[in-house]
Amino acid sequence: MIKKTFRQIGALIRKDLGLQFRSKETLVLIFVFSVLVVLIFAFAFGPIFPEKGERGKLAASVLWAAFVFAGIITLNRSFTAERSHGALHGIRLTGVDASNLYLSKVVSTVIFLFLLEIVVTPIALQFLDLLDVVTVGILLKLFGVLGIGTLGFCAVGVLLAGMSTSTNGGESLLSVILLPIVIPIIMGGAKCTVSLLVTGELANGFWLNLLIGYSLVFLASAYLLAGAVIEE
Amino acid sequence: MHLRASQLTKDFGHRSIVKNATLSVNPGEVVTIFGPNGAGKTTLIKILATLLKPTSGELEIEGTDAIEDCSGVRNMLGVVIHETLAYPAFSPYENLKFFGQMYGVKQLEQRATTLLTEVGLQRFVHEPLHIFSRGMTQRFMIARALLHRPSVLLLDEPFSGLDAAAKQFVLERIAQEQQDGKGIIITTHNTELGYLVGTTFFFMINGELEEVAQRDEITAERLLLMYEEKMRSNLSV
Repeated sequence: MIKKTFRQIGALIRKDLGLQFRSKETLVLIFVFSVLVVLIFAFAFGPIFPEKGERGKLAASVLWAAFVFAGIITLNRSFTAERSHGALHGIRLTGVDASNLYLSKVVSTVIFLFLLEIVVTPIALQFLDLLDVVTVGILLKLFGVLGIGTLGFCAVGVLLAGMSTSTNGGESLLSVILLPIVIPIIMGGAKCTVSLLVTGELANGFWLNLLIGYSLVFLASAYLLAGAVIEE
Repeated sequence: MHLRASQLTKDFGHRSIVKNATLSVNPGEVVTIFGPNGAGKTTLIKILATLLKPTSGELEIEGTDAIEDCSGVRNMLGVVIHETLAYPAFSPYENLKFFGQMYGVKQLEQRATTLLTEVGLQRFVHEPLHIFSRGMTQRFMIARALLHRPSVLLLDEPFSGLDAAAKQFVLERIAQEQQDGKGIIITTHNTELGYLVGTTFFFMINGELEEVAQRDEITAERLLLMYEEKMRSNLSV
């Protein structure tokens, strides 16, 4: 049973990533979108940037704004591909547990967005004149924070995208219902990012705990609700 | 008995799309449901495929309550509906390989290759599905439905939009699966083809399912006359 579960989750993740990298539509779209957000902020505040502390705050807001909206695009596109030719029905007909289907979608979306973050973060830091002052250690911690935030975002985002894409106008609906719910994730993630870029460490444990706590609560509750959402 | 449905009803809002549908299918039996567009045939097939929950009624597949334990019975079903139930960006082989992994099909690569050859897609194994014609897509959908060796086949309008050669292929494949002991339910508005493959005939008009006859009790001409009469009386109402 466990072997079957892992086999199905593995196949679903490979399929999701295969689809994303095969079509390249979403990949190109979210990359261009994220870089555009970075460039707009960089041009608006540049070319003479304020001191390092202010630049850190600016970089944190740029990064989280870019990744949240890239995440919404990815979630919408991912579920649209599942529904457009009834592929989601096809998967349901294999008898896969809806919670495992949800979990695989979370993992594949997290991997996809995290790869984007790995590429876009150095570009943003370069444009905001921060790359020279950020060490490899800080960068790794920053990726850790972004990874946890992405997990929390996708945990609730996949569930809501599964609901919203089955309705008319679902793409805009997802933004409306998702953003208020993930505010604690965005707050925690942005504050941790500011702390890392300004001081080089996670000075206040509260925001990191908030980020981790909400991510895990969202993941657990969405995992339990996934069956009802996907089957209905 | 492979499948038994009793008093199935599906309401959308205040409108009943399927009204108290009762039918069963045994091994080697082909149940053909004739009905015009909008009669509720697709909704009924989706309920039997466990993709839609009925408002009321009972559904048993291989002795298991399919409404309570839908995940447990789904791998006994092979389904062809209007959608491909697959990924158009993937080739037929990639789709079969993915769905085969999900079903846990043994010797998957060999099974996928054999099936694609049997349905005549051996030259298009690695072409993406989105370039396929209607007939080729239908052939793929039949291969996909048979992949995990289900005991029940649910085919919604399997002849729709096909040319003569593709229709002949579908007819032959249904006959072959019937001989292999599968229980098959087909919906169609084509009485000629439906009669050729069916062993038990139903009419479905305005959501109401009515058993008409067994094949040995009725001729194709008589079935067509009854169907036309039923349609006329429905129009006059």
